[in-house]
Amino acid sequence: MPADEHNACPPPLVPSDDPAMRARLAASHVAIIGCGGLGSNAAAMLLRSGVGHLTLIDFDVVEKGNLNRQLFFHDQIGMRKTDALAGTLRRIDPDAALTLVHECMTPENLLATVGGADVVIEAVDRAEVKAMITNVLCGAAPELPLVGASGLAGVRSANDVVTEQIGEHFYLIGDCTSDVRDGLPLLASRVMVAAAHQAHAAIRILLGHAEP
Amino acid sequence: MQVNVALFAHLSSFQPDGEAGRRPRAFDLPEGTTVGAVIESLGLPDEPRVLFINGRHADEDTVLAGGDRLAIFPPVAGG
Repeated sequence: MPADEHNACPPPLVPSDDPAMRARLAASHVAIIGCGGLGSNAAAMLLRSGVGHLTLIDFDVVEKGNLNRQLFFHDQIGMRKTDALAGTLRRIDPDAALTLVHECMTPENLLATVGGADVVIEAVDRAEVKAMITNVLCGAAPELPLVGASGLAGVRSANDVVTEQIGEHFYLIGDCTSDVRDGLPLLASRVMVAAAHQAHAAIRILLGHAEP
Repeated sequence: MQVNVALFAHLSSFQPDGEAGRRPRAFDLPEGTTVGAVIESLGLPDEPRVLFINGRHADEDTVLAGGDRLAIFPPVAGG
């Protein structure tokens, strides 16, 4: 390696391949409800893609059992998930604009917490909480884009995990049927496929693309 | 009046024709029928669900209109 290359500054985190697109993403705000298998991985993808502001919401702490699919590390066990994830994201971008919310979302606090975002990602695990989030946001803020997930457990083909537009501003990721309550495992590979779909759906919404 | 009803995921087995699949089926319903009445007539299980009419969020007490497209979606767990 030539000396000047060795001493060169690293390339920018977000290359200026399409300045208008990058500027739009940099000016965007995505709120992620749940920092587990879906939310932690989607957050990293959104940050790496150049989304300028992330709100990370989770009431839980990192446990050893989370490490099989969630973007946490052994030395983060016991930390708040929001704090641990923020630490990891700032290793990617020390200047990342992150808002951390260590609270459980309820019908009372949900809209006030995420209403200022451009896109909301529902990344929780329990079906009744998924329904609550979807019903509250689609009912009270029907113009606020929401990207949910349903059906990502088990070993069915990753190709069955798809992005669909179910409502005018509601997008659903998954196969709609594979349920952990049926004893299906949550595998990192399939969970991360769903997380990538969620992150990419959010990016497409931010850039004004419609789902086919 | 005629309303198209799409049942997602495992709910599709509750369609009167007994066929699987989320494709909407046409229902002939009396004027003033609510979403809740459709849910009751289909015998859908009491579980978390999300309702859309013509792509907009709806509640069980929403009154349907002729030509509406009702979609009923049950979230499943995992994340």
